[in-house]
Amino acid sequence: MTALVLFGIAAALWALAAMTILVAGMAGAGIRVSCGLSALGGAAVLAGGVAALLSGNSRVVSPGGSVVAGSLQLQASSLAGIFSVLLGVVAMAIALYLPRSRKEPSAGTALYLCAYNLALIASLAVLASGGVLTFLVAWETMALLCYLLILHRPRSSQVAGGAFWFLALSEIGFVLIVAAFVILAARTHSMQLDVIAARAHLVPADWRDTAYLLALTGFGFKAGLVPLHVWLPAAHPVAPADGSAFLSGLIVKLGVYGIALFAFRLLPDGPAWRGVLTMGVGAVTAAIGVLYALGERDIKRFLAYSTIENIGIIVIAFGAAMTFLSYGQRALWAFLLLAGLYHVLNHGCYKTLLFLEAGVTEHATGTKDMDRLGGLARVMPRSGVIAFVGTLGIAALPPLNGFVSEWLIFEGLFQGFRTHSHLVGILIVVAAATLGLTSGLAIYAFVRGYGIPYLGMARTRQAAEATEKDQPVAGPALLAMACVALAVGAPLVLVGMARAIRAATGVVLRPILLPGKLTVIPAHTNFSGFSPTYLAVFLLAVMIVPILIYRAGRPRAGSEVAPVWDGGIIAFRPRMQYSAMTFSAPTRVTFEALYRPSVSVHRASDDPAGRSGPVHYESEATPIFERYLYRPVVRAVEWLADLVRPLQSGDVNLYLLYVFIAVLVAYLIVAV
Amino acid sequence: MPQWFVKGLRRGVVTTRYPAHADSSASILPTPPGFRPEELTSQIADSLVQICPSCALTRAGDELIFDAGACTACGQCRESAPRAVATSGEFELATTDRSALVKRIPLLGEAGQ
Amino acid sequence: MTPHTPVTGSSAGAASADTEKAAAEALRRSVTSQFGRSLHIRTLDTGSCAACEQEIRLLAAPHYDLQRLGFFFTPAPRHADLLLVTGPMLRAFGVAAQKTYEAMPGPKLVVATGACALGGVFQPDAFSFGSVDQLLPVDVWIPGCPPSPLALLQGLLVAVDRLAERIPRLGFVAGSES
Repeated sequence: MTALVLFGIAAALWALAAMTILVAGMAGAGIRVSCGLSALGGAAVLAGGVAALLSGNSRVVSPGGSVVAGSLQLQASSLAGIFSVLLGVVAMAIALYLPRSRKEPSAGTALYLCAYNLALIASLAVLASGGVLTFLVAWETMALLCYLLILHRPRSSQVAGGAFWFLALSEIGFVLIVAAFVILAARTHSMQLDVIAARAHLVPADWRDTAYLLALTGFGFKAGLVPLHVWLPAAHPVAPADGSAFLSGLIVKLGVYGIALFAFRLLPDGPAWRGVLTMGVGAVTAAIGVLYALGERDIKRFLAYSTIENIGIIVIAFGAAMTFLSYGQRALWAFLLLAGLYHVLNHGCYKTLLFLEAGVTEHATGTKDMDRLGGLARVMPRSGVIAFVGTLGIAALPPLNGFVSEWLIFEGLFQGFRTHSHLVGILIVVAAATLGLTSGLAIYAFVRGYGIPYLGMARTRQAAEATEKDQPVAGPALLAMACVALAVGAPLVLVGMARAIRAATGVVLRPILLPGKLTVIPAHTNFSGFSPTYLAVFLLAVMIVPILIYRAGRPRAGSEVAPVWDGGIIAFRPRMQYSAMTFSAPTRVTFEALYRPSVSVHRASDDPAGRSGPVHYESEATPIFERYLYRPVVRAVEWLADLVRPLQSGDVNLYLLYVFIAVLVAYLIVAV
Repeated sequence: MPQWFVKGLRRGVVTTRYPAHADSSASILPTPPGFRPEELTSQIADSLVQICPSCALTRAGDELIFDAGACTACGQCRESAPRAVATSGEFELATTDRSALVKRIPLLGEAGQ
Repeated sequence: MTPHTPVTGSSAGAASADTEKAAAEALRRSVTSQFGRSLHIRTLDTGSCAACEQEIRLLAAPHYDLQRLGFFFTPAPRHADLLLVTGPMLRAFGVAAQKTYEAMPGPKLVVATGACALGGVFQPDAFSFGSVDQLLPVDVWIPGCPPSPLALLQGLLVAVDRLAERIPRLGFVAGSES
């Protein structure tokens, strides 16, 4: 009950924030008050989420509604509790980030902030919904409000295109989600999620599987599973930084919440192929996400593809969990669900952080292109450190939180032999191998993603003159601290989440999970153990040894400062450093079959040394999904529309004839 | 891979044992000249200075100044005055002092050959 | 360690030059003892005909094998202890040579090898400095055109004080060799 009360307070605060910004306009105090209220709302949601985690599924509350719309049904479930914690953290961070990032407010900013706060309420409603109708209404409201968020700067066709992709795919997904819910609601004769979950066994098996597949695809559009992901790289670069942060940090996770809802709460029991299919989709998503990320120069598109990769990792965990359940391994089922949800929390934190930092960079230098940046860590030290924490997290390097959650997922996957099925065991190992490939490429991608813009020398004047003055730092700093806390305090977090998992799945993980206070055991004691806290402490301690050796043994003479060795070139220019594309060239060569690059070279003259003019080189990866999947579908739809067009002749008499035929048909059906 | 291994085993060690022992190839190296001061007349000295392509030889009064550092061991001086100039056979000429490479050879030969 | 003004080889002020030479010798000895029995060499071609480069390359071949003596070639001046310079120091190469020298961390040695680098063959003119020591402070000179790999080995060993110089004893007088 407390959780719902806190959620209600948060919704009220956000509504107040939305009204404040509309009323106060763009006066400075107005933004600050509104964002302050928004941050308080975030704190309330955070508290509510923690309460929901710890107390299990609350009962359903129906605070009224109308006869037409059905009653509003709210419930704070423990599964949603984890996502609510994430919502709270993300809302607080973005609220702290907003005031300073909107120093030069434009006309649309007030409406943007209003839409943003309403989108927060809608997201909370999705998480706190206890019934099908509430869920669907909240979901659609959230999608429409996010469309408005993306359209914040509608001056170019690119912005309109990105927003349109988002909306179009969101609507297609919505249709499939409605279908899935309708199947379940019709068969179980109830609109309450609790009741559906209890009566799920009444639904025939093939309808259950159909509903699950519809849900996977429908929520997959929102979550960004390949090949349903194309809106992510289109929408993220054109949305403002905090909009992209909200999209990647939270909205995509709502898609994951939907998948988790169907896979673990409504339809937990199912055949093994469901889990294997989900795992396979996740593996493909992860690999393709990171491979495309390596080909991107635009920081936001790069981060968007990285989001796709991480969603793939989460879905691998979920799929493996479902597979284990169908073989009776309940402990591993709960453990992998735990690991996947932990990764949701982690990814939300560091992806939001990286997007906010991308916003700071864009604001300071005026560009999102990695190849125009460089040396930012020197001119913007605080942002450099915060972005580094985020990079360490997302690259899954110890001792930060990304490593902990990925390691837990690995440990779950490695126990595939417990299914006692050769085929499925091999498939789980293949998924683990794909995850390994993805993690390695992710490290590579983020060395590039941090090194090219932040390290080295500035490649352009804008990058050299960037300054940190008046840039938002509180929001990203909060997220950086959250990353560190999630890593070092992993045992605490896992304790809380184990309570939630017990409420969601009925499996008691706690005694096996954390035997000593600080060591994590992956579901079975005879496999392995791992302590994130000890690891963090140990790594820090181990760093002391080289420092001591250096201090003891370094030469007593002073050191010399010499210019960087550039090969003796007479005129070394910073543009001669590694660029983002050359750094990732090895992957483009190795995975050429995936990228299928189209290269065009134009020389100003025939001089092979290029002395008489510039050489223009252009290389583009073929957009295989847009070209081979979506374009044929769009053409088919257009062809269908052309077929139907004669019906819309504009002739009133013909329309009256249609109405007459429709009424006639309706009479016949009712009579017969 | 196995081919060179077997070949190597058959050939034995081919690495020179220089500097512990003298290397057999040293005798065929072209080396700077060794002068015979008693055969060097002023005339011959002048002709040698003219003929040296790398300006390693100069006159200073009754001395022939030979810069071993500039010498390319081309052999022109030896071919033009074989009685006065022989080959020295010295190839270990490294030094830390540049001026130590400049040698003064007295002209002790009778003038007017 | 090496005097940072180029040594021009003039012998003005013999007595002070001797003491200076002795001091430089002592300094060099103390420095080369730091290298132990391992030295990393960076070659630098300042405009030669590449005959010296071919001989230097042969050093790494099995017959001469400089690695058995503890010498290694490295392309990075940051990792190098010794700069092996060939060629008459073309003016167009001056900046690159200076940068390479400055990129090497101390202590470092410079060895000039080949008749061109020692000042022979080419006189200073509009295109070349004439000799390496017009630009860089040279520690060891290795004559030859090109110096045979044996001469190079002797020169490198003299640079690290593992062989004594033979030049002081040589007079280039036929029939009176030591």
